[in-house]
Amino acid sequence: MATDDLLGNRALRHFDVCIIGSGAGGGTAAYVLTRDDARQNVLVLEAGPNPFPGLDRHPPAPLPFPLHGNDELKYAVRGYIQQDPFLEPRSFRIDDTSDAKLAGDVNGLPKAVGGAFQHADCKTPRFNAVDFRLKTAMDALIAANPGLLVKGFNDEPANFSDWPFTYDDLEPFYAEAEMLYGVQGQAGDNVFESRRSSTYPMAPGVPMYFALRLADGARRVTLPGYGPLSPHTYPAAINSRFYGDRPPCVDCGLCSGFGCPNNSKGSPAVTTLRHALLSGRCQLRFNATAVRLLNDGGHVSAVEYVDGVGRRQQATAGAFILAASAIESARLCLLSPTPGGAALGNSSGQLGQNLMFHLQTTVSGFLPERVHGERGRAVTHGISDFRGVAPGGEEIRLFATDAGQRVALGGICEFSASQGLPITEDGDIYAFQLPGPLGARMGLPLKNVLRDQALGQHLFGLVMQAEDAPQRTNRVDLDPRYVDVHGLPVSRVTYKSHAYELETRKFYLPIMKQIVQQAGAKGFTVDGDTVYALVRPRDALLGLAPSSRHIMGTLRMGPDQASSVVTPAGRFHDVDNLYACDGSVFPTSSGYNPTLTIIAVALKIAHGIVGT
Amino acid sequence: MQRLRFPRLPPGLVPAPAPPALLRTPGVLFGRREFVKGIGAVLLALALPFTRLRRVYAAARGRFFTADELATLEALCERILPADGDPGARDLGAASYIERLLTAFDRPVPLIFAGGPFSNRNPFPDNSTGTPSDKRPRDAFRRFIRLTGAQRLRWQAELLGSNQVPGAAFNDAAAGGPLPGLRQMYRDGLRVIDTAARNMAGAAYAALPSDQQDAILTTLDRTVFTPDARRGMSFVDVLIQHTLEGCFSLPEYGGNRDGRGWALLGLEGDDQPLGYSIFSRATDGYDERPDHPMSTPNPDELAGARALSPDGERIQQSIMTLATAVSKFFGE
Repeated sequence: MATDDLLGNRALRHFDVCIIGSGAGGGTAAYVLTRDDARQNVLVLEAGPNPFPGLDRHPPAPLPFPLHGNDELKYAVRGYIQQDPFLEPRSFRIDDTSDAKLAGDVNGLPKAVGGAFQHADCKTPRFNAVDFRLKTAMDALIAANPGLLVKGFNDEPANFSDWPFTYDDLEPFYAEAEMLYGVQGQAGDNVFESRRSSTYPMAPGVPMYFALRLADGARRVTLPGYGPLSPHTYPAAINSRFYGDRPPCVDCGLCSGFGCPNNSKGSPAVTTLRHALLSGRCQLRFNATAVRLLNDGGHVSAVEYVDGVGRRQQATAGAFILAASAIESARLCLLSPTPGGAALGNSSGQLGQNLMFHLQTTVSGFLPERVHGERGRAVTHGISDFRGVAPGGEEIRLFATDAGQRVALGGICEFSASQGLPITEDGDIYAFQLPGPLGARMGLPLKNVLRDQALGQHLFGLVMQAEDAPQRTNRVDLDPRYVDVHGLPVSRVTYKSHAYELETRKFYLPIMKQIVQQAGAKGFTVDGDTVYALVRPRDALLGLAPSSRHIMGTLRMGPDQASSVVTPAGRFHDVDNLYACDGSVFPTSSGYNPTLTIIAVALKIAHGIVGT
Repeated sequence: MQRLRFPRLPPGLVPAPAPPALLRTPGVLFGRREFVKGIGAVLLALALPFTRLRRVYAAARGRFFTADELATLEALCERILPADGDPGARDLGAASYIERLLTAFDRPVPLIFAGGPFSNRNPFPDNSTGTPSDKRPRDAFRRFIRLTGAQRLRWQAELLGSNQVPGAAFNDAAAGGPLPGLRQMYRDGLRVIDTAARNMAGAAYAALPSDQQDAILTTLDRTVFTPDARRGMSFVDVLIQHTLEGCFSLPEYGGNRDGRGWALLGLEGDDQPLGYSIFSRATDGYDERPDHPMSTPNPDELAGARALSPDGERIQQSIMTLATAVSKFFGE
């Protein structure tokens, strides 16, 4: 059984590089390293199963269809490719003084060949130019405006730092990423987008009805001091025509949280990872969970992993790249003590720290007409006005308020609605989440509300992906009590929102409500899970762990060994052949979906490793 | 997209409204004394051994439930989603879905994850013209996906309990006990329900009129049946969850007979590979399906919104009321 858990070149025995994780970071790195201009032999270890049988079949055989399907039970209930909360739980607490509870899913991401991006609706906005030098820009703004108080900077300082490279340095890799993954979008549509050197590979597909309603609503709402809001089409790595060997999206609806049955989503498996597998220089072992990096403190000699039948195996390589997502990449270092007993790569003392999730704020309303969110790509439109920067994304905006000037760096808003999931959206809320007689637990009341789809066909709104401040106290470490199926300590996540993002949320919330009202809603509701986590009694925290699925930080990138874990080239400061190339290296989180930036950074790091 | 979720509220934030007048408690139905006696008998029943013979007979038929258990289960599912003008849980096959789940490991490939990418319920698109073609895929959903070792362990623990599966008890001590197995939860739960029915109303649960069935289920819910530490769900929670799954999941899982659960909701269900917009090479653009438009309102709502049922109006109102309370509480 375990011998079948292979894709790519089975004959390879010696590897230049071993990549741990096959998603947006790892798949991208594998592609760059195995290209004809780099010629590295690469081993990829993937902890999860393979939903893409035949992915390594050579042309002229077509790209095979995956095992994904339009199946609510398989994904949303039974977690076909999700990190399993029973086998590999995490624990969660809001600060050091509270007791971490076994929380199962704490921002868990899918574990499978191709990684988490296959499970997303593949939204791919870029970060803004100012995001890469936010600390410098904010300090200058504060110096130029006496009296300006900014939470996280000159008031309750957090651990902000600039990126070790600029937007202009990364821009060519953004362009390469959009081409490789097949991004649809309209250049110039979003006035806040920073300079681009190329147009989008494909035009936007069909818009969703409720998104057009919200876009209309947004145009009728004013940002204080800056005029009407500017809705735009949402860039996404989803085909809107035949692109490469993949077909156009059919807008089947089960997009966010589901694997794509016809390969029209440009996820890593069917793009970069497939290129690597077809190069003849890549071997991918799936159902292979890395559990330890064997090291002498400054050099990694091998990785130990558990294979599909539970045997411990080892793999050697010249260099190792961590791409298991921010929480798992940090955990693997923590599980790999040096001969002196310290965690590998932690000479800065910041390994696992500066964990960032984005503070999501959801404002929803009820539209009298049916929103039919079961047709479409989940999100087709949004606004970027709430990022709090000037058009072009180069400058931080100042807002004049009654209390004086302020900044408000929030994030992009996705226009969203239910995807029409009767079991996990409608049914779950009526029968379980609404308290007592306010809900509809069973019987004809339950049937009537299901038949109406009182939520599923009527609830629509917007979600803001707001930047959260990097804090050393927000971190992942090893839980002292709970273990995973391999008997290893699970990740303990400590996370509490900073006033930086909470105050920004308060600033934009009334404007978000106006958008939903102007779009024709007859009332609204605010989702505030993260805020409840701050005030609820500690013993009631179970189940309130963050679930933004945007995971950044833990292996911060920077020039200084004392304050960062990896170098600007992605190599650990203190381990000479260990790299990281996933969201873990982000110094700050910006306010946009992170995956395109993960891909662009992985491209930059991998090209740097081989000098291509 | 962020899944739209309704917040779980801090306890005590919202005062629980009085129960609706229509809800008849068993105290009224059977008399207070009988009711108390009934609950006592239920608790006693938890300790009684069950007839093994019927169990052996059921297993021999390739089933999990005895005929009596199945009758009780079907009656329970029907109370959760009753038939009216539209089919209920019995018509939709919810109980057979549940039995299929509980016996998932009786087959060489356990019935946990249906295959992909397509059923044969919809045709392929014809991209030369932007219309549906007459070509249909074979039904790949029928061929379930072989489980990995880890998935096998996980789902055996789900069905049998974490302390019954070698290698699955790794967090049992730290987490305050084993994960209860679904098979035992059903065995115990159905026995308690049926014993309650016989004690409180003098007949098997399945034989009672629907209003008495409702009363028994409502009474035992959250009193006798409480959530366990590990799963966080009571037997009734599990029953509701599985009834929803049995009515609205893919028919390949054993319920949602002929897709009639989806029809009841006005959903098309799995709609690949056709989908809702069809790319046309002729126009180098998309055509939408006129009867299922994506960018415009549904055809039946062009003149105005379709009315909700009073229950639908009530639930939307509930959420808006809660939202106001929450906003006030947080000063937002």
